[in-house]
Amino acid sequence: MAKGHGSTVRPIDATDLARVAVFAALTVALGLPGSFSAFGGVPITAQTLGVMLAGAILGPRLGALAMIVLLVLVAAGLPLLAGGRGGIGVFTGPSAGYLFGWVAGAFVTGLVVHSTSRRPTLARTALGLLIGGILVVYAIGIPVQSLVTRLPLGHTVVLSLAFIPGDLIKAAIATTTVGTLLRAYPRAFRRTWGSSRQREVSRPEAT
Amino acid sequence: MLSLYRAGYSPWHRLAAGPKALLLIVIVLGVSLLPVSWPGPAVAAAIAVGCYAVPGIGLRELRRQLVAVRWAIGVTAAGQLVFLGPGPAAANTTRVGAALVISALLALTTPVGALLDALERGLKPLDHLGVDRQRVALLLIVTITMLPVLARLAHDVREAQRARGAPPGLRHFAMPFLVVALKHADALGDALTARGVR
Repeated sequence: MAKGHGSTVRPIDATDLARVAVFAALTVALGLPGSFSAFGGVPITAQTLGVMLAGAILGPRLGALAMIVLLVLVAAGLPLLAGGRGGIGVFTGPSAGYLFGWVAGAFVTGLVVHSTSRRPTLARTALGLLIGGILVVYAIGIPVQSLVTRLPLGHTVVLSLAFIPGDLIKAAIATTTVGTLLRAYPRAFRRTWGSSRQREVSRPEAT
Repeated sequence: MLSLYRAGYSPWHRLAAGPKALLLIVIVLGVSLLPVSWPGPAVAAAIAVGCYAVPGIGLRELRRQLVAVRWAIGVTAAGQLVFLGPGPAAANTTRVGAALVISALLALTTPVGALLDALERGLKPLDHLGVDRQRVALLLIVTITMLPVLARLAHDVREAQRARGAPPGLRHFAMPFLVVALKHADALGDALTARGVR
């Protein structure tokens, strides 16, 4: 299969499918009652940690896919968001943009963290989590919130600043977690760094 | 499986999942585009009440749904009150609340399985783009079965930490939970491969 970008573009196999499913479910588990959610209705829960981890560990494509799967199940009526929210209502409410931001956020996180063919450094991981996990999510979330509630953009930005400290803490936790994982369990990333070794190439391509 | 669905015999329950989803999306879009000025919020509230005031659902359910979205409504109202004053705050909060409760009708009156089936049918045009609908369905089903598993793993990790007297908090929870989850993903991938999933 002649596709560019080295190891980043490959067909999604059963292992990828399992990893995508597990990260979607992991993000749900982070929003369960008895864990760390503060209050429902606004996305200031540990669930964004799942977004960050999905992007940083699965990479842009699969990380974004895990978030899409999660949102599809939410739309189908499963109460998977923190506070037991679900249904298409969450996509018409004030926090709809943040949910779409999860998809883009996981994608950008993965893109930055795995932007070179070398092993991600702590600094690059932190940068990716700040840009993808926070900046992108808010860049999509705030305008949509402003549009839905018709509160002017500037005021909505001020309102949203309250959630930034929590997100910074989550980005810090995600950075150290990913850093530890890189050293202790590198096969979690399912990537090869800094060598020209090809992944299993001889698998016949069925359609 | 936990879901927002409640069995019943209302007209909403009898509508097929696909058309119902489209109809509700159109209604919600219409409500969202209503003007802030006077008749707008009243129309939004009237549509929401109208959608619930059918045999088999009723206004008691509407109240339950409003309670369920109280935080979204509360935060919206608070921000609007501070920046825009009481008039526009009431109008905008009414519109947002109406859109929320109307869209809640889909999950309330449609089983998850029926919606996923409708989704798989709705993706048919994407066949030409090379989207494998069966694979999409498999991914969704596998994820649904993973939900209770990951919830249990999270619970186990937390219990183990509590037993050792570790301090509670996300910082100490993230790493062990992630490793357990990744190990489970590997096992699941192997199991799928062993059963002939490419």
